[in-house]
Amino acid sequence: MRNEMTLERLREIVEAYGASPARWPQAERLAAEGLASSSREAQALVADAARFDALLDMAPAEAPSAALTERLMAARPRAVAPIVPARPQKEKGFLRGLLETVWPYGSAAFPAGTLAAALVMGVALGSASDISLSLTGTAVTASTETETGEGLIALAMADQVWPEEWMQ
Amino acid sequence: MADRRLGPLQGAGADRRPRIGSIQALPGPLCSEGPTRGKIRLDRPSDDELVAAVASGDEAACRALVDRHLARMLALARRMLGNHADAEEVAQEVFLRVWTHAGRWEPGKAQFGTWLHRVATNLCLDRLRRRRGTEDIDAIPEPASGEPGPDRQLEQRELAARVDAALQALPERQRAAMVLSHYQGLGNIEAADILGISVEAVESLLSRARRQLRVALATERDELLRSKETSA
Repeated sequence: MRNEMTLERLREIVEAYGASPARWPQAERLAAEGLASSSREAQALVADAARFDALLDMAPAEAPSAALTERLMAARPRAVAPIVPARPQKEKGFLRGLLETVWPYGSAAFPAGTLAAALVMGVALGSASDISLSLTGTAVTASTETETGEGLIALAMADQVWPEEWMQ
Repeated sequence: MADRRLGPLQGAGADRRPRIGSIQALPGPLCSEGPTRGKIRLDRPSDDELVAAVASGDEAACRALVDRHLARMLALARRMLGNHADAEEVAQEVFLRVWTHAGRWEPGKAQFGTWLHRVATNLCLDRLRRRRGTEDIDAIPEPASGEPGPDRQLEQRELAARVDAALQALPERQRAAMVLSHYQGLGNIEAADILGISVEAVESLLSRARRQLRVALATERDELLRSKETSA
């Protein structure tokens, strides 16, 4: 850092960087500002540079257009959706393979349930209703009200008349 | 040509930066993630924080970065290239590089603003080199020194055009040094870093540039002085 500032060095600084101390080399700024505030010759140097800076500041630079900003925003990076790893396929067993061959329409739970329900309903209806059996031309009637085995025997023994040809 | 002009140091210093209110309006991760999760951040996010958020696709961070730097990059390119259309192309290319490289940005390794200036300056110098072989010498605007028009606004516009023409007539390296130091408000060390030369070389480029500009704009300088005296 230069602690001493000469008028000649201040002239070099101002001729290169202009009148604003913000643009002067940081290492020399304090010393240069000190000289600029204390010397009339230095003040004249800086004032002349300030007038020239004002002229340079007239160089045009337009603000960005809305279209440019929107183009940039349209091209911005997008958040990437996290990739969900696919669930590993379980190895099919023999039964599952067989089931899929018979019912290739997805889960077999629904048709299996329907079949089971139909079976249950059939058994329930069958056991709840009477079964009557009547033979035309005989007086014998078998009914489920009696024990089934005895009824069938009675039915078998009811007709004592055998057709003649049966006896030959 | 639009009349909206940017001052040479616009956005260069902390005092010219957007106020805290701008970040309070930022939705999403910038307001809730990171070390201050669950709190509203009162500080302004650094460039490094914004770049990290840009890499993860944060729209608010992209807009904040554009709001913060686009005008300065455009101004740099405009003064280097001399026309607005080319300047917009360069500014767009600079930001497309930001979008592409955001994921690889290493915080703390370099100043993001310096990196942006380096990219923009190099893109401008490349364009100027390509132009050199093809451009018609008559297409370069001459610093005019005609009589100023009676209309003050027109007079200002004419002066601006003459300053621009004088700037465009500078050798490329001198112009780059002038743009970085005078118009972008960068320090001599930063300018030297961007141009890849020594601090002394930057000072030499600046001295020669200003000397040439003083000669080219001698008439305009007097005009400006007269104009100020009239308006005072």
